Amino acid sequence: MRDGHILEIRDVTKRFGGVTAVNRCSLALAPGKIYGLIGPNGSGKTTLFNCITGLTPRDEGEVRYKGERIDGLKPHRVARRGIGRTFQIIRVFPELTALENLLVVTREPFEAARRRAQELLRFVTLDRLQSEYAGNLSYGQQKLLEFIRVLMTDPELILLDEPAAGVNRTLLNELLVAITRLRDQGKTILIVEHDMKVVMGLCETVFVLDYGEKIAEGPPGVIQADERVIEAYFGR
Amino acid sequence: MGVTITPAMVGQVVISGLLAGALYSMVALGLALIYGVMRVINIAHGTILMLGAYTTFWWFHLLGVNPYLSLLASMPLMFLLGVLLQWMLVTRVVDAPELSSLLLTFGISIALVNVAQLSFTSDLRSVEFLTGAFLVGPIALSKSRLISFAFAVVITLLAFWFLQKTKLGKAIRATSQSSEVAMVCGINVQRINLYAFGIASALAAAGGSLVAVMIAIQPEMGQVYTFKSFLVIVLGGAGNYPGALLGGMLLGLVEQLSSLFLTTQVSEAVAYVLLVLVLLLRPTGLLGGRAT
Amino acid sequence: MRWAFLVALVGGLLLLALYPMVATGYGIQFMLQLFMWVALAQSWNLVSGLTGYVSFGHVAFFGTGAYAGAILVTTHGWHWGPASLAAGVAAVILALIIGYPCLRLKGPYFAIAMLGLNEVMRVLVSYFEGLTGGGSGLSLPTLHASGQIYYAMGLAAIAVTAAAYLIITSRFGLRLMTIREDEIAAEAMGIDTARYKLYAFLLSAFVPGVVGGLFARDQGYIEPISVFALLTTITMIVMALFGGKGTIWGPVLGAVTLFVFQELVWARFLYLHQILFGAIIVFVVLLMPRGILGVLQERYRLPRTL
Repeated sequence: MRDGHILEIRDVTKRFGGVTAVNRCSLALAPGKIYGLIGPNGSGKTTLFNCITGLTPRDEGEVRYKGERIDGLKPHRVARRGIGRTFQIIRVFPELTALENLLVVTREPFEAARRRAQELLRFVTLDRLQSEYAGNLSYGQQKLLEFIRVLMTDPELILLDEPAAGVNRTLLNELLVAITRLRDQGKTILIVEHDMKVVMGLCETVFVLDYGEKIAEGPPGVIQADERVIEAYFGR
Repeated sequence: MGVTITPAMVGQVVISGLLAGALYSMVALGLALIYGVMRVINIAHGTILMLGAYTTFWWFHLLGVNPYLSLLASMPLMFLLGVLLQWMLVTRVVDAPELSSLLLTFGISIALVNVAQLSFTSDLRSVEFLTGAFLVGPIALSKSRLISFAFAVVITLLAFWFLQKTKLGKAIRATSQSSEVAMVCGINVQRINLYAFGIASALAAAGGSLVAVMIAIQPEMGQVYTFKSFLVIVLGGAGNYPGALLGGMLLGLVEQLSSLFLTTQVSEAVAYVLLVLVLLLRPTGLLGGRAT
Repeated sequence: MRWAFLVALVGGLLLLALYPMVATGYGIQFMLQLFMWVALAQSWNLVSGLTGYVSFGHVAFFGTGAYAGAILVTTHGWHWGPASLAAGVAAVILALIIGYPCLRLKGPYFAIAMLGLNEVMRVLVSYFEGLTGGGSGLSLPTLHASGQIYYAMGLAAIAVTAAAYLIITSRFGLRLMTIREDEIAAEAMGIDTARYKLYAFLLSAFVPGVVGGLFARDQGYIEPISVFALLTTITMIVMALFGGKGTIWGPVLGAVTLFVFQELVWARFLYLHQILFGAIIVFVVLLMPRGILGVLQERYRLPRTL
C-alpha cells in the first residue's frame, strides 16, 4: 500500500454530456477509519461511488485500491478485490428470500455460507424472516438486509450510500453501532450521508463535494465551521 | 463481381438511400418517442405501420381516390388505436421491468398481425398508382419514392416543429428527460404517455401509407420496420430525437450501398450486423444519446 | 408429500415409456411433439425465465439443429442419434457466436437483437444453397423411426427438466436470477453477470438444437420457413409464460396445457389460434406475470422451487 492508504483517488473526472459530475476529485483513505462524504444534492457523491466501484467508467484520473489501479475494472472485479457498497435506492433481490440474498453473493461452501448468513441475520434480528421474499420486507428491513449482504463478502473497504435515509431512530442506532464495530475490526468505511448528526457523530474525517469538486476536508468540527461548506449548502 | 462502379451508380445509390432514409427517420421517430417518454420498446410499432398500409389499400380500393390522401385517414385512425392501446394495456407496464413491456408489445403485435391475417388474408396486395421515374441526367428517381420522400420530410419537420414549439411538444420532451421531474412540474405524465403513443402510431401509419404505394402489402410486413426503426434509434442514440433523423438517413444509405455489392436478401442481414456492431462499439449511438 | 410426488412422477414416466406399445401412429406423433414442446419451452425458460433476458429468436437454435442434423444424415450418412447430438453442439456454437457480443447488451437491446436473428438465419440458409438446399428444402432418406424418436424426444424433455431442477435449486441458479432481479446490484456484489448470462444462454441452446435434429429426422423434409418459423418462438414463449417462467414445472405445465388445446381445438383455425396466443401473452404479462404456477404458489404458499 502506497503511503499506507487503502483507497486513493487522483483527479477523477466524470462528464455526462455537457455536465461535469465529478471534477478533478482527489482523496485518500487510511485503513481502519470511518470517513464521510457530504455535499449538496447533485454534488457528485453517488457518481464518485460509481467511479470507484467501476459502475461508471471515469473519464480521467486514477483510482487505486491498496496501491493498485482499479479504474477500468468491471464492477464485479472491483467487488471481488474487497470493496463492498450499498445503494442510495435499495437494491435487494426482491424475488429471492432474505437468506438467498445473502447466500448468492458468496462463493464459500454452502454450509459455511449458510451459517454466516444466519449469524448476520440474527445480528440484525432478521433471522425469523430468512425465508421471506426480500421484496416483501419493510423498507427498514430491506435496508438492513442490503447492509448485511455487503458484509457477507467480508470486504475491507465499505462504501455506504445514505445508510440512514428513511430509517427510524432505533434502527439507525443499531446501524451506527454496527458500523463502529466494523471499524473496530479494521475495516475502512466511507459514508455518503445527508444526516449531519450521523456524519458528525460517526466520521473521523469528512470530505465535502460541491459541483463535483472537493471543497473541504477535515474533522467534522472543522468542516462545520468552514465558510466554503456553509456557502455551498446555504449560500445559493 | 467484375462490375465496374460508375459515379452515376454511386449517385443513384446515394439518392435512393436518402429517399428511403427519410421514411425510416419518420417511422423511427415514432418508436423513439415511445421509448423516450415511457422507456417502452414497442415491438408492435411495425404492426401499426402495416395497419396504416392496409388503410391506404382499402381507401384506394374502395374509394378510388388518390392514395396519398389516405394519410388523412390512416394517421388519425392509428393515432386513436395507439391511444387506445396505451390507455388499456401499455400503461400498466410503464413502470414495470422492461421485460414486461417487451413481452406485452410482442403479444399485442402477434394478436394484431393475426387479426389482419384473418380479416385481410395473407394475399399480397398492392396499390398501383404511380409508376415510372423522373430522369435527372443518368439518375432515375422513382416517382413514388420521391413523393414519399417529400411527405416523409414534411411530416417529420412538422413533428419536430411540434416538439420544439408547442406546449404539448415541450411537455413531451421534458417527460423524455425525466418523468419524475416532469410530474413535479405539474405535467400530467399519464396524458403525455397517451399522446406519445398516439403520435408515434400516427407516424408509423404515415410510413405504412407511403410504403403501401411502393411495395407489396401483407400482414407480416411490419416486423422488418420495427427492427429497422430500432436500428435507427440505436444509430442515432436512444432518446436523441434529432439523432433519429441522422440514423434513418444512414440506414437508407447503408442499405442501398450494400445492395450494390450484395443481393437484397443479404442486405437485410447487413442491417442486422450493423445493429450488433453499433450496439457493441458505440452503445450510446453515433450521435451520443443516453446509454440506457 | 414429497414421496407422493416422486411416486407419481416415476409412475407417470413409466406409463409414458410403455405408451408406444398401445398407441396409434397419431398418438405417438402427438406425444412426440408434446415432448418436443416441453423441451423447447423449458429451454427458453433456462435463459429467459431465470436471467430475464428475453430471447425472441430462440427458434434459431431449433432451425440450426434441424439443418445440422439433416445435413449430417443426408450428406454424411450419420445415424440420426449422434447427428442430433451434434446438432445440439452446432446450436451451442451458434449461441456462442451470437451470445458473446449480444449478451453485453442491456436487456431490451438484447431482445431486439434476438428478434432479428430469425431473419438472418433464414437468409443464411438461402445463401448457402449448395449445402442446405436453400428455399427448396432438404429431404432426408426415408426412415420410419417415430417410435424411437418418441423416446429420444422424451429423453430430451426429461434431460432439460432435470437440468432446470438442478439449476433452480442451486446457487448457480440463484446467481442467474440475480441478473433478472437487479443486474447492477449483482455486479456490485461480485457476480460476473456477463459470464453467467453466457452460460445460461449456451445451456438453453443445446436442447433446441437436439430437438431440431430429431424433428428433421422425424419429418423427413425441412425448409427454412418450417424450421425458422416465428410461430415456434412465439409458442415456446407462450407456453413458458403461461405455465410460469422461472419455475421448474411451469414450462412443462404450460406446454402440456397449451399443446393439448392447440391440437384439439385451435390448430384448425391457424390465425385465431395465434391471436389467442397473443392475447394470452398480454393476459399473462398484465395479470399473471408468474404464470399459473406462480398463482398457485402464492395461493398455497408453495416453495419457489417448483
